[in-house]
Amino acid sequence: MTNPTSDRPSATDAGVGGAAIRVRALSHAFRGPEGTVDVLRDLSLDVEAGDYVAITGSSGAGKSTLLSLLGGLDAPQTGTVEVGGTNLHGLRGDGLAAYRRATVGFVFQHFGLVETLSAQENVELAAALAGLGRAARRTEASRLLDAVGLSDRAGHRPAKLSGGERQRVAIARALVNAPRLVLADEPTGNLDEESAVGVIGLLERAHRRLGTTLVLVTHNRMLAARGSRRLRLVDGSLVQAA
Amino acid sequence: MSWRDAASLAWSGVGRRFGRTVLTIFSVALAAALLTALLAVAGTARTRVLSQLTRGGPLAGIRVEAAAPNFAQLQSDDPTPGAPRPITNGAVAEIAALPEVEAVLPVVSVPEFVIPSISPTSGGRGPRPFADALVGVSVRDPEILPVSVVAGRLPSAGSLREVCVTEAYLNRLHIPTGQADRVVGTHLALGAPRVFPGLAFDQDRGLWIKPEIVGVVAQDAGTGAILGSVQLARRQLAFAQAGPDPGGSFAVPASQYSGLLVVAKGLNDIGPARQRIAAIGYSTSAPQQLIQSVLRYLHVVEIVLSGIGLIALLIAALGIAGAMLAAVRERRREIGVLKAIGARDRDVRRVFLVEAGIIGLIGGVVGTLAGVAMALMLGGAVNRYLTQQGLAGVRATVPLGLLLASVLGSTVLALVAGVAPAQRAARLPAREAVAEG
Repeated sequence: MTNPTSDRPSATDAGVGGAAIRVRALSHAFRGPEGTVDVLRDLSLDVEAGDYVAITGSSGAGKSTLLSLLGGLDAPQTGTVEVGGTNLHGLRGDGLAAYRRATVGFVFQHFGLVETLSAQENVELAAALAGLGRAARRTEASRLLDAVGLSDRAGHRPAKLSGGERQRVAIARALVNAPRLVLADEPTGNLDEESAVGVIGLLERAHRRLGTTLVLVTHNRMLAARGSRRLRLVDGSLVQAA
Repeated sequence: MSWRDAASLAWSGVGRRFGRTVLTIFSVALAAALLTALLAVAGTARTRVLSQLTRGGPLAGIRVEAAAPNFAQLQSDDPTPGAPRPITNGAVAEIAALPEVEAVLPVVSVPEFVIPSISPTSGGRGPRPFADALVGVSVRDPEILPVSVVAGRLPSAGSLREVCVTEAYLNRLHIPTGQADRVVGTHLALGAPRVFPGLAFDQDRGLWIKPEIVGVVAQDAGTGAILGSVQLARRQLAFAQAGPDPGGSFAVPASQYSGLLVVAKGLNDIGPARQRIAAIGYSTSAPQQLIQSVLRYLHVVEIVLSGIGLIALLIAALGIAGAMLAAVRERRREIGVLKAIGARDRDVRRVFLVEAGIIGLIGGVVGTLAGVAMALMLGGAVNRYLTQQGLAGVRATVPLGLLLASVLGSTVLALVAGVAPAQRAARLPAREAVAEG
């Protein structure tokens, strides 16, 4: 694991611990009206547990597709994807849902909050899906919203929150089930610079405290530079970023 | 995800796109209102029609005449009776003991001289006496009497001072049925006739009473313009029967009872009951075939009206399905995110099904209440028209079963309509969470 600057975050032993990622010969294509488009070609990746990896690439390079496959949002067509000891090959439907609940926390560029629920209810929703009781999920959601600095906004719906606040709620939701892998897809894409720095700081603090593996997809090179490893997706494969 | 959590999420989803949700609920409400109103009106009309056929009496009512049966016309609703035959107490007990019989009400009829206390409304003369009959029935069970009240009330049970009059009495006084209230509270003199034989000539005397008219009725218990308690009629009859009736000049009946009103246990018991009563030796009549024929037609009408209401509900269900399919399209990314944070296919399906159910339930409740209001308003308007025409009014009733069926039916139909959209939502791939726009 590279660590170019001494003040950059690194994985710690505290918290739940991270999930190691092993990808071998991963290929994925999409069928469209103009034919088949190969997005990932024979991609391989090794991420140690608790690592912090930033992945960059041009638009349409397949960054989100790779994240979807690592997060079990889609099943790999060829190749193997193993996360935290779970082989995602052959998992479908409920199997992938169980993997996502137990292992992964997602942070999306578009925040992904349910507009008709309050911040508190959005965070509780993820806990409810994991089977947590009402009292426990309420406590945990309150704790996390406090940790991201939004305890006074817990009752507000997303429409009443700024972009940065919405992303903080999304981070709290991603962390409520103590995931071993956090996948962040352009988490600062819709934010101003100040909010972006705050959000990345939150992710990195959670990564340090919980020891989770953090995979960040971004087109922002400055943010990518904060990762302990920087990879670039080119022609469907990963290369070390400059 | 538990049903409770799904309901919470679905409830919050119903509030989104408020205008579309309101329109969808409105379509369900309209359909439920139409179905409820149509069936309530049909039920009220059915009750009214049958009540008219039985003159307010029970559907399974049988009239027993003080006459021998006509075995050639036993199957007829209204056979020609045979020779007169007195009804004895023993016969009453025998008929009451029949397995098909629910109740037996004796009818006592006695000729009376009648002197009204108020003058006719036209003709310019004072009260004019006339000969008619007092019909005595037990008023303890008014719901099984073939009597419907037009104005006022029935006499108290066992009363010797209260009577009702019929429209025939009003006609004598040239009082329109619409003004029947005019005679309520007035008195009339009734005199049961009796012949006192004398050495040289017979003398006619009357047992005079002056009861109060407490109501105006339409009755089919017996032939007579005056209706009173069976106790009053028996007392008058006992006086009249104590003397001779040479030449039948006063038509004093020889039988204690002019007839019986028998209530069978059900419509299917009427035929067997009539056969057994004929075997005991008395003629019977009952609008059995007429009622069954009318019931069949009414049933067809109810089926047609139900069909209209169901078609309306079906259209509303299509609206729900369309609205929910649009919602699924609009919420693709949200569904993807739900799956990304751990929802299974069945969790997503559950949320959308509950959403459809909520729309159906709200629409069903609102529509059913609106339908009840419509039925009551319509019933009120019809009632006003009937009473203005001097006919017995109608009271719209809405059975609890109809209310529950309407609400439940709307909810179930909405759930069925929501199945396809819920399935489509459940099948959306989780990768929709990261899909463009």
